[in-house]
Amino acid sequence: MLKVTNLHASVDGKAILNGINLEVKPGEVHAIMGPNGSGKSTLSNVISGRDGYEVTEGSIEYLGKDLLELEAEERACEGIFLAFQYPVEIPGVSNMAMLKAAMNSIRKYHEQEEIKAGEFLKLIREKADLVEMKQEFLKRSVNEGFSGGEKKRNEILQMAMLEPKLALLDETDSGLDIDALKIVSNGVNALRSPERSMVLVTHYQRLLDYIVPDYVHVLANGKIVKSGDKSLALELEAKGYSWIEGLSEAS
Amino acid sequence: MITANETQSWLDSHGKLSLPGSELTWLSSQRSAALEHFESVGLPGVRDEDWRYTNLRALKSNDYQLTSQSSLSIELAPTDNPRLVFVDGLLDKKASTGISDNITRLQDSFSQVENEFGSTLPKNQHGFTALNTAYAQDGYVLNLDAGQVLDRVLEIVFVSQSADTVSHTRNLIIAGANSQCTIVERHIGADGIVYLSNIVTEIIAGDNAHVDHYKIQQESNDAFHMGGVFINQAKSSNVKNHNIALSGLVTRNDIATNLLGQGAHMEMNGLVVGQGRQHIDNHTEVNHAVPNCTSDEYYKTVLDDHSRSVFRGRIIVAEDAQLTNADQQNNNLLLSANAEADCKPQLEIYADDVKCSHGATVGQLDPVSLFYLKSRGINEASANALLTFAFANEVIERINVESVRQELTHLIAGELLSGLEELV
Repeated sequence: MLKVTNLHASVDGKAILNGINLEVKPGEVHAIMGPNGSGKSTLSNVISGRDGYEVTEGSIEYLGKDLLELEAEERACEGIFLAFQYPVEIPGVSNMAMLKAAMNSIRKYHEQEEIKAGEFLKLIREKADLVEMKQEFLKRSVNEGFSGGEKKRNEILQMAMLEPKLALLDETDSGLDIDALKIVSNGVNALRSPERSMVLVTHYQRLLDYIVPDYVHVLANGKIVKSGDKSLALELEAKGYSWIEGLSEAS
Repeated sequence: MITANETQSWLDSHGKLSLPGSELTWLSSQRSAALEHFESVGLPGVRDEDWRYTNLRALKSNDYQLTSQSSLSIELAPTDNPRLVFVDGLLDKKASTGISDNITRLQDSFSQVENEFGSTLPKNQHGFTALNTAYAQDGYVLNLDAGQVLDRVLEIVFVSQSADTVSHTRNLIIAGANSQCTIVERHIGADGIVYLSNIVTEIIAGDNAHVDHYKIQQESNDAFHMGGVFINQAKSSNVKNHNIALSGLVTRNDIATNLLGQGAHMEMNGLVVGQGRQHIDNHTEVNHAVPNCTSDEYYKTVLDDHSRSVFRGRIIVAEDAQLTNADQQNNNLLLSANAEADCKPQLEIYADDVKCSHGATVGQLDPVSLFYLKSRGINEASANALLTFAFANEVIERINVESVRQELTHLIAGELLSGLEELV
């Protein structure tokens, strides 16, 4: 599904990613861990097509396509979804309106008919239940005045509605208390399927107790320095990131 | 004879105009006083502080004929509401519906508006307002008795369809005590023609009267629109003015209210959408003359291409107008590097126990928000439209007439939100 090969990227001329190799197959859940500044968020931003990131070397192949050739909105239409670390507030546009506009944009891209109002309402109510979001939130402006936990739940709601093939969850656990973390994790787990892949970017092992990954990669200084299964996350938790710093210097 | 500081030959023909109501002495004396005032001030120029950013060279370089009666040449969408249609400033009776004892044309009603006509106008009015008083021929008069509630929206359409014409239109909304009404004025013009629409609406709100007044300006792209909305408010009255400027080459609106009775509330909402080389100048004034009144002003401007806007928001709190609560916000969104917004909040507070706040911003669309929408599959043009709509929507939300709200949603957000107007 996703094949990242020797990816180098920089921001404002500063190299952040220094040769990432990562392959994600359908249905797999990969966790990317690493200390602050290791390039975790940059990786998800580059994959989702955010402006300001320059790919200086390497390639990203997604479903057989050269992903770097696509605009951010085309990537989304092709099934890539980024759950933001800091979801954006858009006063003046309701959650529902944005989601319907997004769904119809994606449908239009695939030359499908627009979703009918009744069908949309039924779907959004069902998905809102998944993340235990009250109906009145749907009519409120996108993320405006939402708590940290509500914003993250809203990201998962959007993901549930847009049904991506590849979901990138950027520090989805940050700023969540334990109850919110459970709700968000339940939402994400419910969306796991043999066709849908996920990449979780996280600083803490805690999230992985709830969303159990198939693979764990540790990122340091813009490179994956160690890969393994879920036990790697526990090892990392026990030894701390200083252990990784050592690995990074050794490599 | 006009000896204004600007020689405007087109004004010569005004002297020959045979004006309705000339048999009324009070009216004749108001007209001659207005002419005298005009002779002293003339047409405004950039030398005037209040016109610094608004150049009228293009307006002055054209010649205008006074309009004469003609019938409507375009088709208007059907409506269930009472609707008066003015063509080139004069009522087209055939195209109008709902004329009644309370809803009349000014030509037929001069004798009934002696106490109200001109009662709201500022003393230091500019030349266009003076010309309007001197030469107003027609307009609508809504005269509500005490306690009367207009259960339907009163629609007024001003259509300009003759090139190189000038019309001076005067409207009066006289809302008796405890009355309620909603008026939607729409100003449209045939594209590609030049004309000057000089129009004044006076609103006299009695005790506890509720007036919701909309002005939707969609003039021709080459038109000049000089508008005034002047308001007197008695105690506990509630007046809302929604000033929506979408078109026209040069637009100037002077909107001023006098809060004259305790407990009066004024809401001024403004939405400006500028494109091309349009220039839109809104001068607002809230005059808190007595204690315990509130005013809430919210103006949003979206400018693209080479368009320009001016916002002057003046709030005057008189010395004994204690416990005034006044808020003013003006936010400007520039979609083009060539657009310009000039903003001038002007608070004059002479009382000491008041709450007055104001804010002004100028900015562009937020790139992070744009990426957020794009990452949800929305293309750049639609994401721009959605964010522009989001910006404007804080004013659109204040519109109480559903059809107007939907129309503006569609106009700004395009197809993106069609069918979703009630969800946004």
